[in-house]
Amino acid sequence: TWKMAVGDGGGSAQEALGLKFVEELSARTDGKYKADLFVNGQLGSEQATVNDVSLGTLDMSILASNNLAPFAPALGILSLPYAFENIDQAETIINSDIAKELVEAGINQAGVRIVAWSYSGFRMLTNSKRPVTKLADLEGLFIRVPKSDLIIKTYQSFGINPTPVAWSETFTALQQKVVDGQETPYAAIYSMKFAEIQKYLTETHYLFALEPLIISEALFQDQSADVQKAILEAGEAATEYSLSWIKEKEEGIKKELVSKYGMQIDQLEDEAEWASRAQSEVWPAYYDQVGGLEKVNAFLRTLGRDEI
Amino acid sequence: MMNIISKIFDNLESYICRALLLSFVTLLFAQIVTREFFGFSITWSEELSVYMFVWFVFLGSSYAAKLSAHNRVTFQYKWLSPKLRTFSEFLSDVAWVGFNSYFIFISYDFVFNRMNLFWKSQTLGIPMKYIYLILPIAFTLMTIRILQVNYLKFIKGEEIIDPEAKEMNELINSDLPDEKTPNTVEGKL
Amino acid sequence: MSESSIVLVLFGSFLALLILGAPVMASLGIAALASFLYLDENPIKLVQIAFNSVGSFPLMALPAFILAGALMEASGISKRLVAIAESFAGPVTGGISAAAILACMFFGAISGSGPATTAAVGMLMIPAMTRRGYDKGYASAVTASSGGLGIIIPPSIPMVIFGISALGMTVPLDAIAKHGEFQSISIPKLFIAGFFPGLVMSVSLMTLNYIQCRRYGYKGTGEGWSTADIRKAMRSGIWSMLAPLVILGGIYSGFFTPTESAIVAIFYTLFIGLFVHRELKLKDLIHSLETTTWLSGRVLLILFTATAFGRILVEHQIPTIIADSMLGVTDNLYVIWLLIIAFLLFVGMFMETLAAIMILTPVLLPVTYSLGIDPVHFGIVMVCSLSIGFSTPPLGENLFVASGISKTPLEEVTAKALPFACVSTIAVIVIAYVPSISLTLPSWLGY
Ligand code: NA
Ligand code: NA
Repeated sequence: TWKMAVGDGGGSAQEALGLKFVEELSARTDGKYKADLFVNGQLGSEQATVNDVSLGTLDMSILASNNLAPFAPALGILSLPYAFENIDQAETIINSDIAKELVEAGINQAGVRIVAWSYSGFRMLTNSKRPVTKLADLEGLFIRVPKSDLIIKTYQSFGINPTPVAWSETFTALQQKVVDGQETPYAAIYSMKFAEIQKYLTETHYLFALEPLIISEALFQDQSADVQKAILEAGEAATEYSLSWIKEKEEGIKKELVSKYGMQIDQLEDEAEWASRAQSEVWPAYYDQVGGLEKVNAFLRTLGRDEI
Repeated sequence: MMNIISKIFDNLESYICRALLLSFVTLLFAQIVTREFFGFSITWSEELSVYMFVWFVFLGSSYAAKLSAHNRVTFQYKWLSPKLRTFSEFLSDVAWVGFNSYFIFISYDFVFNRMNLFWKSQTLGIPMKYIYLILPIAFTLMTIRILQVNYLKFIKGEEIIDPEAKEMNELINSDLPDEKTPNTVEGKL
Repeated sequence: MSESSIVLVLFGSFLALLILGAPVMASLGIAALASFLYLDENPIKLVQIAFNSVGSFPLMALPAFILAGALMEASGISKRLVAIAESFAGPVTGGISAAAILACMFFGAISGSGPATTAAVGMLMIPAMTRRGYDKGYASAVTASSGGLGIIIPPSIPMVIFGISALGMTVPLDAIAKHGEFQSISIPKLFIAGFFPGLVMSVSLMTLNYIQCRRYGYKGTGEGWSTADIRKAMRSGIWSMLAPLVILGGIYSGFFTPTESAIVAIFYTLFIGLFVHRELKLKDLIHSLETTTWLSGRVLLILFTATAFGRILVEHQIPTIIADSMLGVTDNLYVIWLLIIAFLLFVGMFMETLAAIMILTPVLLPVTYSLGIDPVHFGIVMVCSLSIGFSTPPLGENLFVASGISKTPLEEVTAKALPFACVSTIAVIVIAYVPSISLTLPSWLGY
């Protein structure tokens, strides 16, 4: 029995992926191989678990790709703002050679193997002050963001200075109006009950959360060929499941946010402008880190989008 | 000259910690002021203040070791002979030094051999290696302080009293104010 | 590997080292290390635990409150608050000792700690009581017993520590299945929840004080209340009274997080100390910084090893085993509360409060979750129970402080403080049995 750290809490896309993976793995090995899930960061912060997994003191972990990127910079490409315009593009990338290269990068740069991906949805913007439908509406809003350089830069390109607040303080900060808004995927908005204290939600698509399940490469290499195969197959099955899970889940959450909490959900009128700002102001700073402009263009080609 | 050096060494952690404490408290205050009055938030202030705080804590615990202020359960010593008491104090410090030495070893190993080289702090861009460096440093200092306390106790025969006991002694030895102090306090409004 | 052998290694080595007299921090660390080695796990994970257990933003409230408290003392804020309480003593039987309790409540609202409250109040109130013919031992006992209010009436350093420990833990799934969703924990919520329990504890202390003073014949002054005195004390203390208002108001109104309110309190105090009272000297400032340094270093180093210790408990689901065996004995919630309180009182007799909270939260909180107890309510009961430990032997910090100030033998103070510990215990049982005492105010304020 292995130990699997899960960054998010019960009911999250991460947990759904983990449970499905364990179920599939156990089915493929006649119940010989299993893993216990420790949700909600019980085994340490997401970034700390990367070190643990690469050292082999922890077997597996599911975490946001932007928390793996500091250890395997190539993964940063997934978090470039507007890298994906919709969920289908995310699916395309995960099933492409680009994903295979990222798995290699994870092994070489961080000593961990990505065996599955959780589709955790786009980060949506909520706030308690006013509907946001265009760039200009952002002005004067204090938005809580994670301590991530990339997201901070993205918001700066939108023209405001966001406020980094620790996740554990976020609910309190929103409730006490230390900040006006925050940005996380639907599942987090729902599980954290942000709707109780936030009235307006805007559907934004600058960052699609892809969250890898990583296993210690040393542990993986210690396994027999059969077990390795079972792990990889279980990972693929869990990834597929995650895609259908999120589509169904987000639909249900959206309905409940409106019907139960009376939240107002708006669409952006000028999202092309958001995307072009982010692309021109944020992307160039990350070309080096993700392996050069050529990598970015290969990524865009795979999606059938215009190269830069 | 020797005196100055030894005085600085004696209070090294204390000097650094006071500076760190003052800095992160001021930084947090600046963050509140700019946010509430200028509508502006300093994006790197949280990360910087947390890392200063971590350094402050670990160096501060070394300072606490020097003052022999770390909490112990000692009521059972009442039933021991002075000799046995000294012996178990000594033995417990040996165990403590052993733990620290092992921790210095693993934290050194972690920082210099095991840590992922790409890992940088998110908003400051400093390699995490330099921030984690405080662990082997502070535990080394702390171990030196424990040895120093034991050296003073057993070789020099000095008694190291922890700061709380010291304050208590001062209270006991100071005389109580005779006059009705509270009402003679003049408010300077 | 059987869970019981892990429990044996973990708790066995911990208790053995504790009895040997090793620092709490080292006892926990060595016990965790021994368990890792016993389980054949790589202890290098201790390094990340060390860094991450300490490196959290909400935790910065701890040094901030300690520093704020030290500066308030040095800036003359504490003594003015005590003076206001004293001016209310008047002609009532036991008035002046009731004023001492009142002073502890006032001061409890600005200081984060129990012994600090006792020292600040005791320095002024014990002599005031003896001047009115009180026995020194009784005067010390009253002050020592009410000093514990300092950690119940917010702000409270132990509640910060409980909040941090509890935030890092998840609700067991079968507990949710059985009792439904639990309310979330936050430090401001704990602070708000502590307010009424603090009042209940104060009222119980005042009641016993009245009874005792009747018995001993401690009367008030003959002249009645002196409005001149009250006015004078209030005028001189107006800036000091604003200090608790700034802190509590900031937190309750939601203007600041607890860490921020402590930071604001520091700068408010500096301003008052330097420009209004003009009592704060550079020397005091440096001394306050230094005290904050070693106090924080000592407490948070324990947090590191206690986190490692707790991690082993979590990974091996030991709290579940404890909960099951407890439910095997009885499933009567009232009996279980009594067991928990008795256990906490026992631990509080020997162990320093913050260390006790850091060690016991990972053990007990999952247990109380599976019993369906609200986590905030449990946190309040835990802090209240441990606050009594300040004035019980053998390790009773408040007793040491009070007997030190009044120069009465410790045994005498201890004997006279015991009845107070008893009524406090009854008050804690009431607080445990009636959850709404703790939970009403937070729900009023929308938490
Ligand atoms: Na308090
Ligand atoms: Na005690």
